[in-house]
Amino acid sequence: MLLNSVILVLREVLEAAVLVSVLLALAHTVRLRNHWLWYALPLSVVCVFAYSYSLGALTEALDGAGQEVTNASLQGMVFLLILPILFLCTTFPHYGQRRLLAALMTLAVTFAIVRECAEIQIYVQAFAAAGDQAQAVWAGSALGAGIGLSAGVLVYAALRALAPVASRRACLVALGLIGAGMVMQATMLLEQVDWLPYQTPMWDSSRFISEQSFLGELLYAVLGYEATPGALQVALYGGSLLLALGAVAAGWKWRMSREAIA
Amino acid sequence: MNRPARLSLMLLLALAWLPAMAKTPIFELDIRDHLFHPEEIRIPANTKVKLVVYNRDPTPEEFESYELNREKVIMGGRKANIFIGPLAPGVYPFFGEFNPRTAQGRVVVE
Repeated sequence: MLLNSVILVLREVLEAAVLVSVLLALAHTVRLRNHWLWYALPLSVVCVFAYSYSLGALTEALDGAGQEVTNASLQGMVFLLILPILFLCTTFPHYGQRRLLAALMTLAVTFAIVRECAEIQIYVQAFAAAGDQAQAVWAGSALGAGIGLSAGVLVYAALRALAPVASRRACLVALGLIGAGMVMQATMLLEQVDWLPYQTPMWDSSRFISEQSFLGELLYAVLGYEATPGALQVALYGGSLLLALGAVAAGWKWRMSREAIA
Repeated sequence: MNRPARLSLMLLLALAWLPAMAKTPIFELDIRDHLFHPEEIRIPANTKVKLVVYNRDPTPEEFESYELNREKVIMGGRKANIFIGPLAPGVYPFFGEFNPRTAQGRVVVE
């Protein structure tokens, strides 16, 4: 139970931790204070409890598709919030629109934490109640959360170690990839409940990088790595990357035009 | 009713019946005492099927399969629908992520 708890919690925490780390590093490059995270964390806790308590009824809603549709919507919302964050961080690298940017980051982190961490809450609440397993569940969960958060700190430190311009560019690229990964995951969830047609895998890279390995999990968190993606998933992933690139390009163009006028 | 009208009516009834005939096959699976019952499900190749998973335990479980690209939390005493396929012949393992040592099963596509 100890090892199982470590793996389960690590998988979920890692994805949220990477997103938070990239947003924190990006906020630093545009001189946005980190107070937005202190709004996001309590809001996330409330939403995680609300979501997990209603999951039973939610699962049976929409003819059994409620859980997947909700999770896909949360991931879709994170991607839609990432687009204006990319735009604003390119347009206003050092000033302006800070309140809007803070609000967007707060919501993106909240939706991501709800999506990833509700499962932890459900697991810990159910299995820590069993007397003989409680110690292993708590210890394993703490260990998994610790490793996941440490990985997030490493990502943050690596991004901060770069020169300011390189750091901002790396954050923008990472954020675009995380957003596209969210869209890919949402696609698979909708396929699971037959809202999207089944896609025959285009390739199988599990022999090189298994989704169950730590590297596979990390790549899943950062790139949305999928060993056996279908054509629709690949197309939507590519489309999402193009949209992210478009948001950065639009922000850059707008910034250039403002600087030309000034 | 004249003959062309009768034929049209029969054709319409046949058309209405076709989707019912082509309905997705349903396979049921139970989770009891952190085990899948049955452990093995045999489904036809190249056919989309609907798995209905009943969690008979009071605790939640997560149906997970890397090979099938499926994951779904099923609360205690609840059920969940999961569509899989059409799949090529082969063996596709699945497990309960909350109890992976005991809750293991496989979909055999033939």
